[in-house]
Amino acid sequence: MTDATVAPKRRGSSWLILPGIIWMALFMVVPILMICYVSFWTQTTFNISSTPTLASWKQFFSSDTYTGALWTTVRIWLIVLATTFAIGYPTALFVGLFVKSKTLSTVLLVICVIPFWTSFLIRVLAWRPMLGKEGAINIILMKLHIISQPIEVLLFTELSVIIGMSQIYCVFMVGPIAFMLGRIDRNIIEAARDLGAGFGRIFWKIIFPLSLPGVVVGAIFVSVMVLGEFATSGALSGRKVNLLGNIIVTQVGSLKWAMASVTGVILTVVMGMVIAVFLRIVDLKQEL
Amino acid sequence: MTTETAIFRVDGVTKSYGGVKALDSVMLEAGVNEYLSLLGPSGSGKTTLLRVIAGFEVPDAGRVYFQGRDITGLPAHERGIGFVFQNFALFPHLTVRKNVAFGLMYGGETVSAAETDKRTQAVIDMVGLTGMEDRGVDQISGGQRQRVALARTLVMQPKLVLLDEPLGALDANLRGRMRNELRAIRERMGVTFLHVTGSETEALAMGDSVVVLDRGRIIQAGKPDDVYSTPASPAVAHFLNRFNLFSGKLSQGVFTGPFGTVAVPKATRAADDVYAIRYDRVRAQPIGAVTSGPALKATYIASEYLGSSVMNFFETADGKVVEVEHHLSLGAPQTFEPRQDYLLTWTPDQAIVFGREGK
Repeated sequence: MTDATVAPKRRGSSWLILPGIIWMALFMVVPILMICYVSFWTQTTFNISSTPTLASWKQFFSSDTYTGALWTTVRIWLIVLATTFAIGYPTALFVGLFVKSKTLSTVLLVICVIPFWTSFLIRVLAWRPMLGKEGAINIILMKLHIISQPIEVLLFTELSVIIGMSQIYCVFMVGPIAFMLGRIDRNIIEAARDLGAGFGRIFWKIIFPLSLPGVVVGAIFVSVMVLGEFATSGALSGRKVNLLGNIIVTQVGSLKWAMASVTGVILTVVMGMVIAVFLRIVDLKQEL
Repeated sequence: MTTETAIFRVDGVTKSYGGVKALDSVMLEAGVNEYLSLLGPSGSGKTTLLRVIAGFEVPDAGRVYFQGRDITGLPAHERGIGFVFQNFALFPHLTVRKNVAFGLMYGGETVSAAETDKRTQAVIDMVGLTGMEDRGVDQISGGQRQRVALARTLVMQPKLVLLDEPLGALDANLRGRMRNELRAIRERMGVTFLHVTGSETEALAMGDSVVVLDRGRIIQAGKPDDVYSTPASPAVAHFLNRFNLFSGKLSQGVFTGPFGTVAVPKATRAADDVYAIRYDRVRAQPIGAVTSGPALKATYIASEYLGSSVMNFFETADGKVVEVEHHLSLGAPQTFEPRQDYLLTWTPDQAIVFGREGK
C-alpha cells in the first residue's frame, strides 16, 4: 500500500484515539510528571516548597533504609517471580495441555480464580491464622508429631511475605501460560513424537518456546504487581520487611511528599526496565 | 500382492469410539514402492485407519504388520513410518531448515551434525525449497508449507509415508500441481505412499491402486480404471461422483425404474437394486424423438461450463437431478431451453446394474 491510500483512512478515524489520549494524559502522564517535579522540591520538617533541590535524591541513595528497601524489593520480586513460575507453569501445563476437554480446562481455570471472590486484604490477612505461632500449619504439624516446637519463622518474616505473595499472584502466571499452551496445535506435538522426539525434547524444543509469550505476559503481570506491593508486606511481615511501596506509604503518611516522590520515580523506572527486558525476550506483537 | 512383498499389512483392525465402530475388521495391504490412495467420505474412518497404522491410536482388535514385523503395540516413533498431517502441523517457531532437520536433531537415533546438514539440504533440494531454508514457516506459501511437511517426514528415510488429506488445505490450482509433485517425489524416493483423500478425482489420479472405505469397511480395492469402470457397489459408484443412480427393482433380468423397463443381461450383487449410468453416457433428446433404449422425461434446469466439457442438469418428475456431461472434444454442446422437457436416453449395455439377484 502506498501512503496515498492510507492517509484518508487515518484522517477519518484518528478522532477515535482522543478519549484514550485524554484518559492517559489525565491519569498517567500528568501524575508522573507531577511526581518527577515534586521529587525535586525542598522538604523541611513541617513544610515543603517548590525551590528545586537534589536533597531528597541524595538522601535516598545515601541512606541504608532506602537503598535497603530497593534491594529488598528487587529480591522479593525475583523470589516471588521464581516461585509463581515454578508453581504456575506445571499447573498451566496440566490445565492448558494435558486436560483434553476444553470444558474441564475452563472449569479448572475458574477454580483458580475462586480466591478472588474475597477481597485482596482478606486474602492477605487470612494467612495470619494459617502461619502464626499457634496457627493452622503449626497445630497440624504438631498434632502429626512432625515437629515438637512451633515453627516461628512462618509469620512476620520475609518468608511469610513470599508465601503470601506467591499464593496471591500465582494465578496471574497460570492464566496467560495456560492460554498459550491451549493454542498449541496437538498435531504439532504428535508430529514431533512421530519424528522420534521424546517428551523432554518435545517440551524444550516445541512446547516451551511456543508458551514463552504466555510466560512473558504472566511475568509482567506478577512483576508489576509485586514491585508495587505494600499491603502484603505490611500485613505479614510485622513491619520487618520494607518494600519501596511501604516507604511511599510511610512518607506520604508523614507528609514527606518529596521523599515519597523520589521513591515513586525510582519504582516507576525499575518497573519500566523490568517490562522492557521482558518484552525483549519475546516479540509479543508477532506472537499474540 | 503377497505378504512377502507387502510393506505393510492391516489385518482385521477394529476400532470403536464410544460404541460407534470407526473401523470394522479392515484388511489392507500395500507393496513396496507403491502409491496407494484411500478414498472415503468424511466419517468413513479413513483418518482413523491412518492413525492406527501410524501408531497414534491403538486398535481394539486386529494386528498391524510393517516390513514383516508385528508393530501393533509399538509406539509411533519406533515404527519408522512417516506421517504428513492434513494441516501440515509445522513447528511454527522454527525455520524451514530447522523444521526439516527436527527429526534428525532431536529424534531417537543420534545423527552427527554434518550428516544432519547433508541429509537436510538434500531433501530440501529434492522437494524444491532451495533458497527458502532460513525463512520462517509463516513466511512461505501453502504449497511450500506442504513441501516442508513432506521433507520433514522424508528426511527420516521412512519406508512408508502416510498422508492425511495432504492437498486438502491447498487451493485448486496448487492442488493440481502438487499432485504431480507428490508422485514425482515418491518415485524418486522409492517409498510407499498411503494417501487418504475425500476427493475421488485425487484418488483416481494419484493412486497406483485405490481403496474405497465406507463406514469403517473397505468396500472396494483395485486399479483406478477398474474401480472407475466397474464399481463394486452402489456406494462406490456414489463416491466416484460420476454416475447417475436410480433405485428401482431388478427382477429376472429386467430392471424397472423411473425410465421404464430395461433388460439387464448382467448385474452385480448388492443389497439394493440400483441402476447406474455415467454422466457422459447420457444423451438428451427432444420430446417425441424415437429412442430404442430407456427414456426418461426430465426438465432442463441449468448447465455448468467445466472447460473441457459441459455439465447439464435435468430434473425428473419426482425431483431427482440427473446430470448429463458433454465432452467438448465431441463437438459443440447442444443448447437447451430452460424449463423445457427433454427425453434422456442411453445405450443400456453401458449401464452398471446392482441388485439382489446379481452375481
